[in-house]
Amino acid sequence: MSETHYHHLRDLPSRHILGTGTPMCAGCGGLATLHQVYDLMGEKCVIVNGASCLTLLSVYPYTPFRGSWLYTAMACAPAGAQGVRDGLDILKKKGRISEAEDLEVVVLTGDGSAYGMGLSATSGAMDRNLDFLYLCYDNEGYGNTGQQFSPATPHAAHTATSKGPKGYPGYKKDLFGIWAAHQPSYVATVVAAEPLDLARKIERARSLTGPRLILALAPCPTGWDYEPSATVEIGKLAVQTGIWPLKEYVDGRVVHTKIPHPRLKVEEYLKAQGRFRHLFAPRENREMIAEIQAGVDRYWQQVEQEQEQPRS
Amino acid sequence: MYRIRLHGRGGQGMKTAGRILGSAFFLAGFEVQDAPRYGAERRGAPIFAYVRAGRTPILERGVISRPDLIIVADDHLLAMPGAGVLSGAQPQTAFLIHSHEKPSLWRERLNLQGPVFTLPGLPENELRFRGAACAGGAAALIPELNIDLLAEAVQEELAPLGPELVATNLGVARMAYASLAAHRGAVHEGGPVSAGEYTPPGWLTLACEEPLLSAPAIHAAATSELSQTGLWRTERPIIDGSRCNRCWWLCSTFCPEGAIQVDDERRPRIDYGHCKGCLVCLAQCPAHAISAVPEEEAAAQGETP
Amino acid sequence: MTRKLLTGNGAAAWGARLARIDYLPAFPITPQTEIIETLSNWIEGRELECRMVTMESEHSMLTAAGAAAVTGVRVFTATSSQGLLYATEMLYTVAGWRVPLVMVNVSRGLSSPITLEPDHNDVLAMRDCGFLQLHCATCQEVLDNLLIAYRLAEHPTVRLPVLVNLDGFYLSFTREPVLIPTQAEVDRFLPPFNPGSIRFRGGEPLSEGVAVLEGAAYSYFRYEAHLASLQGIRVYEELGQEFAGLFGRSYTALECYKSEDAEIVFVMIGSFATKAKEAVDRLREAGKKVGLVRPRLVRPFPAAALRGALAGKKGVAVIDQNLSPGKGGILHGELASALYGMAEAPPVLASFVGGLGGRDISSEEFFEIHKAVQRAVSEGVNPSPRLLYTEEELRGVRTMQSVARAADTKQGGGA
Repeated sequence: MSETHYHHLRDLPSRHILGTGTPMCAGCGGLATLHQVYDLMGEKCVIVNGASCLTLLSVYPYTPFRGSWLYTAMACAPAGAQGVRDGLDILKKKGRISEAEDLEVVVLTGDGSAYGMGLSATSGAMDRNLDFLYLCYDNEGYGNTGQQFSPATPHAAHTATSKGPKGYPGYKKDLFGIWAAHQPSYVATVVAAEPLDLARKIERARSLTGPRLILALAPCPTGWDYEPSATVEIGKLAVQTGIWPLKEYVDGRVVHTKIPHPRLKVEEYLKAQGRFRHLFAPRENREMIAEIQAGVDRYWQQVEQEQEQPRS
Repeated sequence: MYRIRLHGRGGQGMKTAGRILGSAFFLAGFEVQDAPRYGAERRGAPIFAYVRAGRTPILERGVISRPDLIIVADDHLLAMPGAGVLSGAQPQTAFLIHSHEKPSLWRERLNLQGPVFTLPGLPENELRFRGAACAGGAAALIPELNIDLLAEAVQEELAPLGPELVATNLGVARMAYASLAAHRGAVHEGGPVSAGEYTPPGWLTLACEEPLLSAPAIHAAATSELSQTGLWRTERPIIDGSRCNRCWWLCSTFCPEGAIQVDDERRPRIDYGHCKGCLVCLAQCPAHAISAVPEEEAAAQGETP
Repeated sequence: MTRKLLTGNGAAAWGARLARIDYLPAFPITPQTEIIETLSNWIEGRELECRMVTMESEHSMLTAAGAAAVTGVRVFTATSSQGLLYATEMLYTVAGWRVPLVMVNVSRGLSSPITLEPDHNDVLAMRDCGFLQLHCATCQEVLDNLLIAYRLAEHPTVRLPVLVNLDGFYLSFTREPVLIPTQAEVDRFLPPFNPGSIRFRGGEPLSEGVAVLEGAAYSYFRYEAHLASLQGIRVYEELGQEFAGLFGRSYTALECYKSEDAEIVFVMIGSFATKAKEAVDRLREAGKKVGLVRPRLVRPFPAAALRGALAGKKGVAVIDQNLSPGKGGILHGELASALYGMAEAPPVLASFVGGLGGRDISSEEFFEIHKAVQRAVSEGVNPSPRLLYTEEELRGVRTMQSVARAADTKQGGGA
């Protein structure tokens, strides 16, 4: 990524343009992501939102946005993006607006919409090669309703609807893979705790057209049960333990942008959060922890193998 | 009927306090209604709950507009008009305030006519027991409730938290009860609204207005900054200018709110009007130049935001 | 102006074309498909400068339609039946954005049981969403009302989406002579869309579709949409007059056919109202003082006009091609609320449900409805609601049931 403007952390924007005073929880990882992305993109964009915590950013008469915002519904934010993008393109083509009046179209949803209810609309938008950026802040549950499990919830996590000793029985859905299977322009994972990596990926995404996904792990103090001050630390641990691989898909290839070395044990990440407390107390559930570790190890072994093989 | 309204912040246990009081009344043989009221707000934001208790089935419903007792878990809320703590207070309305200050000070400051009581503040790390303290204090003021009913209600409501937390909460509730036991009977049941003599609601006939006005759209930028979310804060991060190495970006980039701006000399400045006190900046500052001070203490030291 | 044989779907497509629509989000569903196919061919052949996008569902289709309208382009879309219901959430949502767009619904009965045949349950299920509803009786009306619909939706006071309804099969696939105005004539009636300040533009902050978490503000916004919708009655009447001045065909919120001196009046919406007209003519020949009142507008509901048209009548028969289970005909209830308490309210307001799932309503049935109302008038008793259904039909159903072995199973046989 030699072409990047972001070599050092101090290359990141020092001015923050997303308005303060929002009703998000203190320490919200989703808001942290959005504010970094908005600073990078600037206000000349229309954020098309589907039902999620961040829907409550704009509650009449308050909005943190300096540009445009459209709330649609949980299932259809990419369809809203389609209407806005097409509308602007028609206006430009018919000479009714200038280039200066054009806007970038950004879908913003949580994991509930991105991994589940909105997946059909997302797939459709990719089928139509819609020129849009999708920002999913993934807090691994239906956070706005009190953190029930969603298709993005990790295995074994306690949620409001998986409170048993084994936690959530399912496995986190591979949204990155689902997107990549559509062969869109760009797919990347980010976390606000790694702002330089995030900035480079936003920069890369914006240099391309077509469907682009930025999938951000969004630590959630309320839903994951940890002190708000730990939001960045948890995000870093997710990367350092290899649980949240930072990667991008572009030109048909997946590249890992940060390979954790040495890779910390998953315990470091798990024990920092109340939603995994049952794996450590009253008794340590070694089997479950080992299973989670094995899953992560398997992933990285595969990555290493792929790196060793020459590309065809 | 007793009408009790509880004000606190998300996370301070006001819903639980309302439920403990509701259960205590119920155990005492009352008909009861209790409910929390949620908005878009999150942990730290003002919320309220309410309890009604009467001797006949309760037909009133929803928000209590004329409370007999107003419980305030966090005295900062009294300075926030938006929190609506004083809304509908009558001359006889009693106040129970979780505060270090003396009752006389609140009576004077807020021009209150009814009885005012305060509860001793808990150490900061015991914020989550405020609900039990408020419920305990309130139970002491109501003649039909007693320590046994209170204890039973605490056990009933908090059982899912496990015996250890039940015991701690119970201890806090008992302590609060004991501190106000001398004022038993200070809260009186209010009567219903009279159909013979009342203030009419002042209805109007809405006119059809132009869509620019009458569509729920916001035609301005960053109006959210009018919301003073700094009032959610319980701890205040303070930057020690002498230790800050002016790294330019770190606290400012990581602040989830975007509430830390950096000036031309790379000095970060925290916008206390909006900082919610998550303390991510403190946790991430490489020079350890940021410390946290309880909000009460910071205010007492005259460090006005 | 040319006169051509057009289906209702063809007339709808012509209306959209002449309205110079910019944007067409679509999703195919029977019996609406001919509309989008026709428009697609015109776009392909560069006869229409419009962007068409086939979405993956009606829910997304309505979302894209609303989002493009709030961006400031003229939008047309069309659906039917299950598709309309699938989009329900977004019908309410888009109406709340106060954006003008026009959607055609080709009425078709609802599942379950699934059917392809028409009735009005789909469109009437959308009564409360905030869209204005124009109901058409002929293919000509479809074309004309599409043009009027854009003026209505884009009217600075109204600014709400409009649904133009035509009956599946009886209009959608039925050819009739239709006068197609020239583009120049239409341009004189329908100027380009001016979105005003409700639009997305770089450099202009606009947060649209925001949450309103407070009862007073929520009530205000919802009630303002209602007041704006009510303004639609006056605006429609004005537009109808203007349209008549330019095209010679006039449109009013109510069509009143020989109802002025009538003692008994049929009330119904949609294309079967022309069958009621035919019955009125035959009954008039037989010396009966009978007429028809047909609301073109269902939302806003032209209550005052209905009160005026029905004052002093001896009996009214409401023929509903819909059914609200547990209540009955929907229009009957709506009309009753409009007439209640009026000094000259008709003493008999009878409810008939017919035409469900495409079932025909015969002339004889109109005559019989008239006779039943006449009897009720003379006896002074409001008759019980009646389903138009014959012994012969039930016999047919019994045959089907025997094939389906329904009766055997009931007796525990099943084999």
